[in-house]
This record gives sequence, C-alpha cells and structure tokens, in this order.
Amino acid sequence: MKYFLYWGCSLEGSGANFLVSLKPVFETLGVEWEEIKDWNCCGASVSYAGANDLAIKVLNARNLAIAEANGGYDIVAPCSSCYIQMVKVNHEIQEDPELAAKVNSALAEGGLKYNGGVRVRHVLDVLYHDIGVDKIREKVVKPLGGLKVGGYVGCQSVRPYGEYDSVERPITHDRILEALGAEAVPFPKKMRCCGSGIFLPEMEYCFHLVKDILEDALTHGAQLISTVCPMCAMNLEVYQPRINKALGTDFDVPIVYLTQLMAVAFGGDLKHDAALHYNIIPPEKIIQSALG
Amino acid sequence: MASYDPSFAREVFENVDYGEEIKMCMQCGVCAASCPLSMRMDYSPRKIFVMIRAGKREEVLNSNAIMLCTSCYSCKVRCPRGIPVIDVMHGLANYAIRQGYTPRKKTAVFGQEFWKQIYRLGRIDEKDLSRRYFFADGFTQGIRNSLEMADMGITMFLHKRMKLLPERPIKGIKDLRKMLDKAAQMGKGGGGAI
Repeated sequence: MKYFLYWGCSLEGSGANFLVSLKPVFETLGVEWEEIKDWNCCGASVSYAGANDLAIKVLNARNLAIAEANGGYDIVAPCSSCYIQMVKVNHEIQEDPELAAKVNSALAEGGLKYNGGVRVRHVLDVLYHDIGVDKIREKVVKPLGGLKVGGYVGCQSVRPYGEYDSVERPITHDRILEALGAEAVPFPKKMRCCGSGIFLPEMEYCFHLVKDILEDALTHGAQLISTVCPMCAMNLEVYQPRINKALGTDFDVPIVYLTQLMAVAFGGDLKHDAALHYNIIPPEKIIQSALG
Repeated sequence: MASYDPSFAREVFENVDYGEEIKMCMQCGVCAASCPLSMRMDYSPRKIFVMIRAGKREEVLNSNAIMLCTSCYSCKVRCPRGIPVIDVMHGLANYAIRQGYTPRKKTAVFGQEFWKQIYRLGRIDEKDLSRRYFFADGFTQGIRNSLEMADMGITMFLHKRMKLLPERPIKGIKDLRKMLDKAAQMGKGGGGAI
C-alpha cells in the first residue's frame, strides 16, 4: 500500500510530535508513503475571513492535481483540518461539473488540471480500515496495560461526511486504543468542539469548551487523553495553564497523539520514536507505570 | 407597519457563498442546539437565517454570530434539510468583511493574516503568523500581546514544537498566486478581500 502523506503546516510546528511518531508507526505497519511535491496549505478553518470559497477550493485542488498527476495514490492526512478541507473540496468537485470547470480554469493559470481521480483519507481511516486492528494488535510488543485513555475524537476527523466512522458515535479511535492494550474510557463530550482554529482570537470563550471536555474525560476516569488532531492537541494541552488561571481549575492532564501511544506499544523509543519529550504536560510517568 | 423586505435576502443569494442554501431552512433550530458557541452569539444561526429573510441587513452583517464559527461541522451533519450551515456562516463572514463590517475584529484579523500568509508563502509558518496577528494593531500593542503570550512561545520552542527554519515560499508560489487571483475574480460576488 502506498499513499501520499499530506502532513500540512501544523505538523511541522506545533504538531511536530504527531509527525515524528507517525513515521515509525507507518514503518512498523509497512505503510509506504511519499510527500506531495511542493504541497501548499489547505486553508484550514479560518481562511474565509480573507478569501472567497472558490479561492479556498482552488488552493486545495492544486494539491489534488499534483497528487493525481504523480501517481494518484490515496492522500492520507493526519491533520483533521487538512483532511476536512481536502475531502470537502474533492467531493464538491467530483459531484459538480460546473464547479470542476471553474476550478480547472483557475488551475490552468499554473498549468494544472484536476480530473477528480484522487481519494482523500484520514489517518484513522487508513489505520482502521486498510491496516486493521488485528494487524495493529500483532505489532504490539509493549501492551499499554489497561492505561485509561480518553480517546478524544473532536470534530473534523469524522464530520461531516462520516466516510469511515460514525459522525455521532465514532469507534475507530477507541478500537485502536484497545488493540494497544489500553482501556478506552467512554466520555460523552468526546465529540464536542475544542474551539479549533479560532481558539487564539476567541480564548475567553474557548477556555470553557476545553474545560468541559477535560472535566468530562477526567470524571469518566481518563488518566490521559489521546487525539489525532493538532488543533485539539494544542488547545487541550498547551492552554491548560492559562485555563487554570482564568477559570480556577487545576488541570494537569497529558494530551498525546494516538500515534505516540502506538509508537510506545510497538516498542519504539520513548523519545526518538514516540516524541514524548515534545509534550508540554509530561505523559512519560503515566505511560511507563502502565507498561509495568 | 414595516413590510417584508426581500432585498437583503436577494443580495445574500447572489453574493454570499452558499447564500442560496438558506431558502431550505425550516427554522427547526437544530443548528443552534448543536453549535458549541451559540450561547455566545447575539443571534443563533437559525435566527440569522430568518433575519436574512426579514431584511435585517445591518443586524446580520454586524452580528458576532457570523464570526464565531469554530468549524466543527455539527450543524452541517445534523441539519434535517441538508443545509451546510457552516459554509453559509463562513460565506456571511467573508461578505461582511468585504462590505467593511468587523463584528469580531480579532478573529477577522487572524483569519485575514492567515490567508495573507498563504498568498505570500503557500504555507503557514505558525511563529510568523502569530507575530503578524499580535502586531496587527501597531507596535505598542504588538509588544504587549507578545509579552502576554511569551511563556507559551518559549514553552513551544523548548519542546521542539516551533519550526525554526525561516519562512520560505513554496517553489510554485508564483503560479499559485495566479490561480488564487483568478479564483478570487471568478468567485461569487466578485472576489476575496485581498
């Protein structure tokens, strides 16, 4: 299986622990990938303040066109925002010939054309449906010993299309956690939004969103929270001290990427493969005590 | 008694991305109930839609609601009439800003700086984006904002979560800009804010 890995801008910065841990996980699972040549940003959630809808579509269509012309492998996006932007534009182009013509007349300015022939996938989709929990379980050499993890799904990795999981009651994240030997703690707010891309300018409102999510996961017994989205990770982890200060809470919950837990369970090095030292709220102790 | 004025609805259908979708709204309120920030909004998405039909142009384009979308897609998933509520809200935000309204200035500036950086580089460099966002209101306020957030920046840097390379455009930036310029011209209502 070969894919285009479109990791996007966040994974080169604030979400670096996602990309560092994803690479050895893919290697262990035999996933071959290459980068989309000279890829550009997807526009994420906030570009509409500066650009009309067609410009944002063309932005994404450029990546799709380059992928199509260079092998046409499925594109796998670890970042939820990259995924949703691209999958949405792809659907709309595939379903609407008039839109496809408009997009292509803009792409032609740079000598590109997109025929709608590429599939966009989220990393959870590939892990669950292409590789499968059985193969993931086979590769586990250090089971996570009943570690209680809140699998925080958030918004954009499954909504709105629900192509690979339920949009209201998703299971893929939890099933993968269980394959690693962890206990996936059910918590009702696992689908509530953290504030996403407008967190920074709307902090005072978004603090409350994160507080509700963290409280809910902790109340249901989570020792740490895993995510597959760089915005979720940023908003839930990095802002915790500020939330404590603003709202009088005392959160100190590690937020890890699912791939970091996978790298640990696959026997990878805690630093080199799992990048646990990239985390600001240290998860090492909790994880190591689960490993025994 | 004031009569029903359809002119703003027409303006929205013709100029706002996904604006015509509001014709399908049956005012059930599922979008309002699903929205994580609707309790912070002056008018819920449902109310915004009925106000468009009622011709409340100033109220809608000045509303904080159109700027407070977190893009969680709950409304789009749940709308029983299949309206992409999120896309309509984004379209309204874009239109309001183009018309000179700034209902949530900080969020508008953040989004505009985000887009400008894409246009300039083809990618987002988070440290540079933060700097431009913090300094959007001038130097003094920029220093104040930067100091306010300095602890977070230092923490991210120390944990290797800040890209250290200087910002650099993608190789195909010139072609990308040509494509985006063309798309801006061809878009509904005649172009983006840049």
